[in-house]
Amino acid sequence: MHDTHEPPTADPGRAARARRSSKLFGGAPVMQFRTEASRRTFLTGAALIGVGGTFVAATRNDPRAFALSEGDLEILNYALTLEYLEAEFYTQGISGGVLVDRELELVTPIREHEQTHVTGITQLITDLGGTPVESPVFMFPDGTFTDRTMFLEAASMFEELGVDAYHGQVALIEDAEILATAASIAGTESRHAAVVADLLGGDPFPAPFENNLPMEDVLEAAGQFIEG
Amino acid sequence: MLKRKDLIRDAGLVIPGAIALTMIGAKFAFADDGDFDGPLDVLNYALTLEYLEAEFYRQGNEVGLLDGKAADYLATIQTDEETHVMTLQDTIASLGGTPVPAPQVDFGESFATADSYLETAYTFENLGVQAYLGAAPSLFQEKELLTAAASIFGVEARHAAIIGVLQEKPAEGGVYQGAFETPLARAEVLQAASPFIVSAETL
Repeated sequence: MHDTHEPPTADPGRAARARRSSKLFGGAPVMQFRTEASRRTFLTGAALIGVGGTFVAATRNDPRAFALSEGDLEILNYALTLEYLEAEFYTQGISGGVLVDRELELVTPIREHEQTHVTGITQLITDLGGTPVESPVFMFPDGTFTDRTMFLEAASMFEELGVDAYHGQVALIEDAEILATAASIAGTESRHAAVVADLLGGDPFPAPFENNLPMEDVLEAAGQFIEG
Repeated sequence: MLKRKDLIRDAGLVIPGAIALTMIGAKFAFADDGDFDGPLDVLNYALTLEYLEAEFYRQGNEVGLLDGKAADYLATIQTDEETHVMTLQDTIASLGGTPVPAPQVDFGESFATADSYLETAYTFENLGVQAYLGAAPSLFQEKELLTAAASIFGVEARHAAIIGVLQEKPAEGGVYQGAFETPLARAEVLQAASPFIVSAETL
């Protein structure tokens, strides 16, 4: 189904996925941030570092832990925003009744996983002394939650983008436990991506290695759906 | 290379992530500090598991138990595992190490029926996911290797899910293993794989 022996750094599906994502909603915005400030936060990945007094006190003798957590908090807030998007998407899709029977059975746990990721990452950021970003307001085009194919194609795009996003951060996470959490979420997203691809009649195994994308590329892909 | 205990055991009480993980409820059972003797050992451990999987699908697909989409999917999975084997061999060699030889394997009655084939595949894939996640902290300081191992780990998760779909397993607990993947330590991986391994240099 695909070429073998691609190195892990190969990025074969990237152009195709970018095309798919731009085609999907015709470039229409799906995310609308509550304020311009929070949108800018999402886009730049800046201003996410709400390191509180508790955390500083707990780690003042551990400069490494303190230093690493700023970047890790930024990554966690980035992940949180993508999880907000997925959770809202599946919540609306399932309540919209776009799927039935076995397809509904296979997609319902995905909604629950994304909601759990939102809750877990939010708590993790808070425990680290950071400030979880607010959820953007998401807007999905008419038909997304009433047309099965449209829904599943959007799901596929979001899952593949999520996989790429997590794998793009693996080398940048500085705390071993946060890495483990991110990896354990990434694996779940890979399962979602495969199942959704199968439901669409697509290829659940597009390559022997997961792609990865840097934060700016993921934000660029998501940015076309952000108003403003 | 920093030992995991330097990161976690000694400093664990001041790393807040550990606290939050308890809240999340992930059952983390990472490789013990003594499990791996450096990155090459981790890679050879992964290579052994990939040998096991690649040979399993090579033998299983030859029997012709499946047809249609299931046969196509398992053919792709076989090439994925073979690619993982070659890539790990190349990586180990490029680091100046020596790739371990393939283990001697015996898959018993796994290929008796389509059902038994898929069920054993399901076991291997989920074990692979857990093994990679369990070993990940041992590659923590080797960022390129970590990224590469993670990229294999994700594909194993795809395999595991789709085999569960082919088996018509329940969604949660069958196709998916909850909102978080669960790691396994080396000893547990060895125990799970031991029925199929006659002899191996590394596990």
